[in-house]
Amino acid sequence: MKSPSFITVLSGLLTFGGILSAQEPTAPLLQSGDRIVLVGNTLFERARLFGQIETTLQIATGPEVKGITLRNLGWSGDSVFGDSRSYFGPPSEGRDRLARNLGETTPSVVLISYGTEAAMSVDQGWTDDAAHAAATAAGIEASRDVFLAGYEALIELVRKTSGESLREIVLISPPPLENLGAPLPDQTENNRRLAIFRDGIRDLAKKNSLRFVDLFAQMGGDSFKGEVAKPALTEDGVHYSEAGHAIVARELAKGLGYSEGSLIDRNLPAYEELKAAVIEKDRFFFHRWRPANETYLFLFRKHEQGQNAKEIPMFDPLIVAEEKKIEEARTRVFAGMTRN
Amino acid sequence: MKLSFSNRVATILTLGAITSLSHAQNGLRDIPDTAVEAQLNAFKLIEGAKINLFASEPAVANPTHMNWDQRGRLWVVSSPLYPHIQPGQEEQDKIVILEDTNGDGVADKHTDFATNLHIPTAVLPGDGGVYVANSVEVLFLRDTDGDDVADERKVVLSGFGTEDTHHLLHTFRWGPEGMIWMNQSIYIHTHLETPYGVRRLLGGGMWHFRPETRRAEVFMKGLVNSWGHVFDEWGQSFMTDGAGGQGINYVFPRSVFLSSPGASRILPGLNPGQPKHCGVEALTGRHVPDTLRGALAAPDFRGSRINLFQLTDKGSAYTSTQIADLVSSTHGAFRPIDVKMGPDGAVYIADWYNPIIQHGEVDFRDPRRDHAHGRIWRITFDGKELVKAPDLVKASEADLIQHSNAPEGWTREAATVELRARQPEAVQAALESARAPAGVDPDLFALRKVWTSQALHRFDAAGAAALLSSSNHKARAAALRAIYYDAATNPEALALAEKAIADPHPQVRLWGVSVLAQLSSPDTVKIALGALEGIELDEFLDFALWSICREHADRWTAAAQTGNPFANTTQLLFAVRALNQAVAVPQILSALGSGELPSDAQVTGVADWISKVGSAADLNALFEFALTEGAKPAHQTTILQALANAGSLRKLKPAGDTARLSRFLQSPDLATFTSAASLAGLWKLESAREGLRAAFLNAPTDEAKGRAALEGLIALGGPPTATMLDEIAKNAQSDYLLRSLAVIGRTKMDPNEGAKLAVAVLTEAPQGKDLHGIFDAFLANKQGPVALSNALSGATLPQAIALAGVQKASSAATKPEALVAALQKAGTIKPMKMALTPAEMEAMMKQVATLGDPHAGEVIYRRAALQCVVCHAIGGAGGVIGPDMVSIGASAPVDYLIESLLEPSKKIKEGYHTTLVTLKNGDSFAGAIAREDTNELVVRDAIGKENRIPKTEIASNQISPVSLMPPGLTAQLREDEFIHLVRFLSELGKDGDFKTPSNRFIRHWQTLMPHPSTRDRIGHYGTKIFTEAVSDYSWAPVYATVAGAVPVGELPEIEGRGKNRLGVARTFIEVKNAGPVKLRITGKLADLDLFHGDTEIAMPDGAETEITLDVKEPGRQKLTFAGLKGYGIEGVTVEVLDDASRADLVELNNF
Repeated sequence: MKSPSFITVLSGLLTFGGILSAQEPTAPLLQSGDRIVLVGNTLFERARLFGQIETTLQIATGPEVKGITLRNLGWSGDSVFGDSRSYFGPPSEGRDRLARNLGETTPSVVLISYGTEAAMSVDQGWTDDAAHAAATAAGIEASRDVFLAGYEALIELVRKTSGESLREIVLISPPPLENLGAPLPDQTENNRRLAIFRDGIRDLAKKNSLRFVDLFAQMGGDSFKGEVAKPALTEDGVHYSEAGHAIVARELAKGLGYSEGSLIDRNLPAYEELKAAVIEKDRFFFHRWRPANETYLFLFRKHEQGQNAKEIPMFDPLIVAEEKKIEEARTRVFAGMTRN
Repeated sequence: MKLSFSNRVATILTLGAITSLSHAQNGLRDIPDTAVEAQLNAFKLIEGAKINLFASEPAVANPTHMNWDQRGRLWVVSSPLYPHIQPGQEEQDKIVILEDTNGDGVADKHTDFATNLHIPTAVLPGDGGVYVANSVEVLFLRDTDGDDVADERKVVLSGFGTEDTHHLLHTFRWGPEGMIWMNQSIYIHTHLETPYGVRRLLGGGMWHFRPETRRAEVFMKGLVNSWGHVFDEWGQSFMTDGAGGQGINYVFPRSVFLSSPGASRILPGLNPGQPKHCGVEALTGRHVPDTLRGALAAPDFRGSRINLFQLTDKGSAYTSTQIADLVSSTHGAFRPIDVKMGPDGAVYIADWYNPIIQHGEVDFRDPRRDHAHGRIWRITFDGKELVKAPDLVKASEADLIQHSNAPEGWTREAATVELRARQPEAVQAALESARAPAGVDPDLFALRKVWTSQALHRFDAAGAAALLSSSNHKARAAALRAIYYDAATNPEALALAEKAIADPHPQVRLWGVSVLAQLSSPDTVKIALGALEGIELDEFLDFALWSICREHADRWTAAAQTGNPFANTTQLLFAVRALNQAVAVPQILSALGSGELPSDAQVTGVADWISKVGSAADLNALFEFALTEGAKPAHQTTILQALANAGSLRKLKPAGDTARLSRFLQSPDLATFTSAASLAGLWKLESAREGLRAAFLNAPTDEAKGRAALEGLIALGGPPTATMLDEIAKNAQSDYLLRSLAVIGRTKMDPNEGAKLAVAVLTEAPQGKDLHGIFDAFLANKQGPVALSNALSGATLPQAIALAGVQKASSAATKPEALVAALQKAGTIKPMKMALTPAEMEAMMKQVATLGDPHAGEVIYRRAALQCVVCHAIGGAGGVIGPDMVSIGASAPVDYLIESLLEPSKKIKEGYHTTLVTLKNGDSFAGAIAREDTNELVVRDAIGKENRIPKTEIASNQISPVSLMPPGLTAQLREDEFIHLVRFLSELGKDGDFKTPSNRFIRHWQTLMPHPSTRDRIGHYGTKIFTEAVSDYSWAPVYATVAGAVPVGELPEIEGRGKNRLGVARTFIEVKNAGPVKLRITGKLADLDLFHGDTEIAMPDGAETEITLDVKEPGRQKLTFAGLKGYGIEGVTVEVLDDASRADLVELNNF
């Protein structure tokens, strides 16, 4: 692909910004100094391994917007009730933990993505939250209603605990599931269910006057007829591969108000440097917010190893150093784009 | 003069005069010699075995797991990063491929396949790459260009917890059916989004995962550190546990074991009281000596040895018998953590190589941790040719199928993995024309064909169904297991399971129930309960049935509202008890009344269940049954106990006339009276007060009954009880027991009132001992400690009783610091200094090393006053409240031992944390959670008592930072004694005198307490009198020493003729079938009398003999030994001789 010049990027933004998704035109989301926080499950957790979402957003904003930072609080298997975050306690302790993490990461923009876990687990139950576990196993309507009620409470929790810098909450629909052919299962029915959850999330966003990104529609979920994906963007029909994450990142940026033209040519050498710094920063942040050995460092065996908890904040300067690299690499990317 | 412990520490320091070494260097003294030779010289091998070094650092450092590929190369993951990454440290843990290219048994080539991992804990080659557990993820790494270095990295599964890095996902293994099996340990909480929905596993357990379908499912739950899993020849699963200590565990679908969060029922392992293990492997193939073939090898990494176990069938499960150790070592850094059979038929051992194990007990950054060494050892056997591994990669599909029937487990597994890589059509064609190799059991051959079809993901359902007609129950059970995984989509599964439920063998029934649990048919429970008919139900099958009754409750409870959906009332009772809900109560009560449920067990079952779920009317029906003319006394007792439970736990009483209770208050039977007294109080039967009062005042004669009466009086309550107790407590002329009980009772009613009485009564405590539990009464109440400390303000107490109080208060989970301070002030006790400075610790460690005598230490350990034995077992012999000490010396550094004795709360072993449960009424219970269900929590306290607590009454429930072990237990020791004790503990599990031998010594004994009749009767009848069932003989438990001997000097003196003093000890062994049982007895035999039942067995002269018991009646066999004190009895050992044909028929530890 030929690299677009910066002028083209700008004109692209101006000309096409509003018509790239089926939604109403949206202004670009990010401002200088924004702190993005990702809240969700496997989609976001694995994003840290690929670095595509942040890298894409870092470039999409254009050179005038500076000092964007991102903290990824994605956790595999999580639900709107905080199941995965709860460790030894009930899911409510997971929500307490999320509240604490939001307070610590001081977001100005929170991107939330849930829904796959619930749509795929219809009739099986997808949360251990005592008040809702039974309903989540009782058919799609009950499951969706519980999901949306939990989601609304989660939005409230984000509002209350993110601190004064919180500016925007964005609800992201899950991307669609894929059929990869036998022996992997057919996901046609789950995609149909996912669309129902997506509709609910869209209405919830509207009701709460929040931005909504319809990754499901943007990535073809509505036109899915059960065909086998070629090429596959997921590893197993559910979890997006590295190539798939590139598309997810691109579509997410579009949904957040950035034009096709603003997006980066991945062949630029500086792009790889930027992405590498993003991945390294995310690696340090992972050891910072989700350290191993929590039982010994912070929980009920801290009398044994609590003395070593002091090491955990020592990741902070490493994160800051990587962010400096991110900013520098970003500058070089823009320089490369202009030079072309 | 008796010095306080802190003074003694000062003395040691002056004597020791070592002050120059830093704390860190001090630790380094413990580091064993890292030379390979040093380890080689320290091995002790089973007869006929040899050991050689296969690989070592720098190729491998701290290996955590290993597996072979189909080419016979060993893949090892190693983690110098463990236990925790340091900020700035690279994620550089690696996978190395070790290769022996010239077949000399030594790896001559090593290749770093990946060097960018974060505490990897499992590695499994297959599918053209390698699966790796990498903390939160399972990765699949692949080399795409043939240089044996990974250049492709994909996440296969993510969402595994990391709450404790020695609990991370681990123990990967290919199953015979071509799935990946993987385990996680107690603190790990896992949340996976699979293509089939979310799967969560909170706590320990085992998963199976099929890579091509990405289906991951939980197979079983529990075990503390489930670090080992192996399949036997028939595909049954056995697991080991690195902390649970029950040896080999037989696991099956939905089985639940120790430590699973929220479990209301758990299954036991097959070897209670065994060392803890990491890894397990079946010894298979032609190179293994005949006597060891089929044994399970389980590394005891704490004790630096590998234990061996033989399995024999028993009901739906197995008996596991420990035989000799495969290898043991005196080298303290030999940490065998994995064992695998190799392609050449030899046994390979991954040696994590570390003087420090795990990471809870010792600082993450302790310099004694080894991050550089690691060894792979290889054991071969003399006189047995090695196996030539086939070239599986070049083999045809037909040849691979032959190899999947090889005698060697390695070849079978590797052939299966290789077959997965071939064209499924080609394999299927080869399968169809395959013939069983010579000497292979046709059923096993058929089963392996079914497994291969599964490995290809082309399940041969007809082949599995055909196996169900085999005459071998193992083949039938295995066929059901093969059907189990995809049963939900198998139209034949229901009919096959139904057939299995009626199978004559209980294990086949167990697997039939497991298949049913996978199905959506509305009749699953109805069919499953057929398994109760016609055979003896054992614990494992019982568990499977209990589990399906609960899991599929919505399929039968509606029908049970009005009738009985099952074949008979026994089945209905089983189901409703399993569910533990008020379903079908009228049907059950009517069956009870009409005599349809006649056995003691059934009546107890009904009573227990109604007490938990029944209404007031149901309780009344139960009460009426107890009051029926001609009711059996045992049934009456059972029912009163149940009613008392309902009254105390659920505040519920029978709807009818409760005054009819009075007749039971006349009962001479203690259990009946106790329940009746409790009920009189709970039911507020004022008419019972006088009788209770009389029984209470009679407490000095019958304390148990008196205490029971007191409970009734407390529950009756009101001013009459309060006044009565106040008067007794204040009356200095009253009996001391009565006064103490009065204080205890008053404290239970109102701690402040109790406290007012307590000081005077405590002041008069005989010998300064709190004989009757006054302090305990205060500590068991939320307001108690404050009330007592207020009352102590300005008062004085004798030092001894104050000290006793301080000791009890210091180990209370509530941490009543104000009370401790008040007691210290009242008793003018200076706080004991329990923490040592680094310099003091160093001096102490040197003393232990130079002056400590472990033999003297063992005697001290066993002293009654020290109470070690009450709570801790060594190799299963002893209490169960604290951790088993069997290999503590080999796993814990000396400073850890010293610290734990002085400050028990500083480091607490996982699984032994105290939970503090406070009730809304202020009562508190501290202990370990034994089990729980939706309605109640059961807490096992420091004396082993189980307390049932209704969940609705719980105000708070928290993990206490306080150990159940009281501090200051060792304060009574002199310094030399303390040092001997530490030395003894530090030798436990190390090779030498204090490694629990694997011989089947009888370890549980009872000793006769002195009795007035012995002196006269022995003159007439001889020592045979000790075999008689004299009703007031009193027998106290006594445990054998580590070496297996009846302890010297601990048996009470029994009076004989003249100045003769005897020691008398007896034991029981359970023998299942009639026949001979061989025993080896050592001791001063000429001075020893031995009786089997009441038959004397003649003892020869000498120090050792073998005898054969002729068991005519199966069941409990009583062996009674008597000998003169100082001559015959002490040091006697009795060992059940290994005889595989009898191994499952003789059980120890049964009382």
